[in-house]
Amino acid sequence: MSRLFDHYGAEGKGYAQPSPILPVSELNLPANMVRNQLPRWPRLSEPEMVRHYTWLSKRNFGIDTGFYPLGSCTMKHNPRVNEVVAQLPGIADIHPHQSEHQLQGLLSIYYEMQEMLAICAGMDAVTLQPVAGAQGEFTAVRCFQEYFRHRGESNRTKVIVPDSAHGTNPASAAMSGFEIIEIPSQEDGRIDLSALRAVVGDDTAAMMITNPNTLGLFEQDIAEASKIVHEVGGLMYYDGANFNAILGRTSPGLMGFDAVHYNLHKTFSQPHGGGGPGSGPIGVKEHLASFLPSPIVARREATAAEKEQAVDAFWYHWHAPENSIGKVQQWHGNAGAVLRCWAYYRRYGKELRTMSEHAVLNANYLRHAIHREAKAAGVDHLFVDGADTVVAKHEFTLSLGPAKEKLGISAMDVAKGLLDMGYMAPTVYFPLVVPECMMIEPTETESKETLDTFAKDFCKVLQLDAETLHNAPTTTPVRRVDEVYAARNLCLRHPFDED
Amino acid sequence: MVDQLPNLGREEEMLKEMGIESMDSLFADVPEPVRMIGDLPLPDAQSEEELLADARRLLGANVALGDQPSFLGAGLYRNFIPSSVFQLVTRGEFLTSYTPYQPEVSQGMLQAMWEFQSLVSELIGMPITNLSLYDGSTAAAEAITCAVRVHNRKAEQKDTVYISELTPPDRVSVIHNYCQGAGIEIKKLKHDNNGCINLESVHEARGSCAVYVEQPNPLGIIDEGYPSIKEIIGEHTALIVGVQPVSLGLLEAPGHYGADIVIGEGQPLGSPITGGGPLYGIFGCTKPYLRLMPGRIVGRSIDVDGKEAYCLTLSTREQHIRRHRATSNICTNETLIALMGAMHMSLLGPEGLKHLAIRNMAACTHLKRELSSIESINQPHHQQAHFNEFVVELPEQTTSCLAFLEKDGIVGGFNVSDWYPEKSNQMLLTVTDQTSKDDIDRLVQSLTTWTAEVTA
Repeated sequence: MSRLFDHYGAEGKGYAQPSPILPVSELNLPANMVRNQLPRWPRLSEPEMVRHYTWLSKRNFGIDTGFYPLGSCTMKHNPRVNEVVAQLPGIADIHPHQSEHQLQGLLSIYYEMQEMLAICAGMDAVTLQPVAGAQGEFTAVRCFQEYFRHRGESNRTKVIVPDSAHGTNPASAAMSGFEIIEIPSQEDGRIDLSALRAVVGDDTAAMMITNPNTLGLFEQDIAEASKIVHEVGGLMYYDGANFNAILGRTSPGLMGFDAVHYNLHKTFSQPHGGGGPGSGPIGVKEHLASFLPSPIVARREATAAEKEQAVDAFWYHWHAPENSIGKVQQWHGNAGAVLRCWAYYRRYGKELRTMSEHAVLNANYLRHAIHREAKAAGVDHLFVDGADTVVAKHEFTLSLGPAKEKLGISAMDVAKGLLDMGYMAPTVYFPLVVPECMMIEPTETESKETLDTFAKDFCKVLQLDAETLHNAPTTTPVRRVDEVYAARNLCLRHPFDED
Repeated sequence: MVDQLPNLGREEEMLKEMGIESMDSLFADVPEPVRMIGDLPLPDAQSEEELLADARRLLGANVALGDQPSFLGAGLYRNFIPSSVFQLVTRGEFLTSYTPYQPEVSQGMLQAMWEFQSLVSELIGMPITNLSLYDGSTAAAEAITCAVRVHNRKAEQKDTVYISELTPPDRVSVIHNYCQGAGIEIKKLKHDNNGCINLESVHEARGSCAVYVEQPNPLGIIDEGYPSIKEIIGEHTALIVGVQPVSLGLLEAPGHYGADIVIGEGQPLGSPITGGGPLYGIFGCTKPYLRLMPGRIVGRSIDVDGKEAYCLTLSTREQHIRRHRATSNICTNETLIALMGAMHMSLLGPEGLKHLAIRNMAACTHLKRELSSIESINQPHHQQAHFNEFVVELPEQTTSCLAFLEKDGIVGGFNVSDWYPEKSNQMLLTVTDQTSKDDIDRLVQSLTTWTAEVTA
């Protein structure tokens, strides 16, 4: 075991730095602000530090380590050139408050990304400021709020979400001050139009929904749902978490949505980094454009004087939307993430559509392969499809309900068994509408061979006896972690003996 | 042609095995009226080589701060990040992992984040920290909403918080957006002419839910008045202090002068400025705030064999469980940037941090002295101690000064009128550990020429 706080080298250890311009004695520090006890940090030399973090990395599973079929998370390969691009000094070493003259490259890429995202989603205007999907949701809902205020419709206080929605949807709307109306889904997980009709009214501000839904099914009644909400004067919000399934085949705009957020860290391959950073731009239709956070990027033809610094004959500049809600992040969003996603997008161009097609191809193929291998292995009685459908979209669900009932094997047991086979486990127990749910999203960057092998290994896990699976995993750096112990014996930082 | 898809060219084989006719059939469930017809109106795919050439050309049109002497900060600070940080953070096991929901195969990131919490906790003097929020501005906003949740019941000034009137408007705007849903009223605390907090005005905040100030403050001033604040506002009003983390190598940790919540822009420790993101927001607090605080937290635990193990804990505060009653909507955060922060901190060590802080403050002190030789440039807060930055009053409009400096190959300071429109001749000059004596000489020389021109 390597622990950072076990490293207590001699005082003064640390990487060598140049001398200060002036000695400390010449700094007029206010006496009551002087720090007397330095933080009790460990002291490591570079070789020790490198070895510690390398050791830690070996105890972590990433897409680079192996197949990562985590439903709802779109764990696709992260091309390495994106990292090279994001380290160029023209992005890593620039300040958001530099003059427009000095940031024409960044501004032109922002503009290109705004345009591309608008095209892909069928929207009219885009802001890149929100730094995560949840913040995108929050930003859009704030825009809705100001839109209604502007129209004298502050009575619209309710946001409708299906019970299968991601938790961030209701959380984001509630943070803006909206009341949440949750409506039940149909048995197959699809939207229940009669339940929707029953709750819409003069107080409806919006409906938030993802399509395909969290079961991986395309909501065929989506146009009708949009119509119902629009007829009472409400707005439609598209949660872009599952955008990878439909890019180039349909768009939120075509489905009648007024606003959408994009998870650049899903669809456009910003690496997840163990939980972030992400980027959650939003796109809106014309009637909401003036409410977007400020600033966005606009362009005009460069004047003769500007030609030298201009990129491709255009002059790019910041633009404050007229009724802007202001800021949701202090600067211009996660520029570094936007740049990575720009690099990713450039390598697909119009073939982004092929990307989505392959995401759907792989999901359907894996679903098929799992059923095929289960039959061959005689374990097909242990699970059923989470939803009755001919084709899935980018992900699909299985219910391990029968395994639980017949053998006492839960979805979590199977997940842990898969860890022992060298895979990241699929998402489990979400969405809640499927009992013992396992949600599988292979993404487009896995080969047919990987999918076939995983299908076989999945069935091998189902052939294990219940006890073995209750004890799984056994080959991982640690075995099942006691989360109750963690919550009851809170230890949130390194404890010093002296404390 | 796209080169990222392993099954390109094998579509028919796979479809045939599934008994599905064509790619179109995979999308047969998309009703006709909402189908997209034809190609996306986007350019052709590029090879990696073509993309890189374009990236270099376009990003080359930006002026990198390292190319010129630069004096722009105002919340983000140029720093030096040891090479090993970049080498390690791009290891695929870290870079391409998801949120550690399966702790058995995520021990590396979980332990690294627990260690991050420990490092930050020591740095800011708070017993509890989370593993990052988006940035300093959202951390400030979430600290305020958290404080209201904790204190509103007993507060005499319900739903009310007081923030320093110097808080940059962009940050106030973020705070406003986060607060308005909960109906929180934001009132301002006054500052005296010397730039320090007006303690009389702090008295008005008694009975409210929270007070928010920054140290050093947005004008770079190290405010000596802060240790009195907690005594004035009392235990039922949260003292929230925003910090520049590097300054804490010299300056007292806010946890040691009564802060209840400490937030900060983590960037100077571990992250390049990167055009303003990704950064990481520091958030730490004392125990009464624990169960109502935002963001993910790692706890140390044991596995079934009793072996030391780490996992996410207190998740019942979070959106994936609590939905609309969650303490925050945050899901994706800034873990990888926080990891860079932890790596940087572990290489610095306590004395390294202090040395780094001294370098920052020394450069600032040196520039202040050198500039005092220019008579027509006034330093309105000259008597105060500064960290990283300070305000100068110019004999002419700041815009004209900045244009002059830009022509002279210098990235000038921040135009203070972008924050406070009436201060059109003020500039916030920032130096860091990366500012050399030569850079400062160049600036002083250029400003001498400019002032001579405009005062002639």
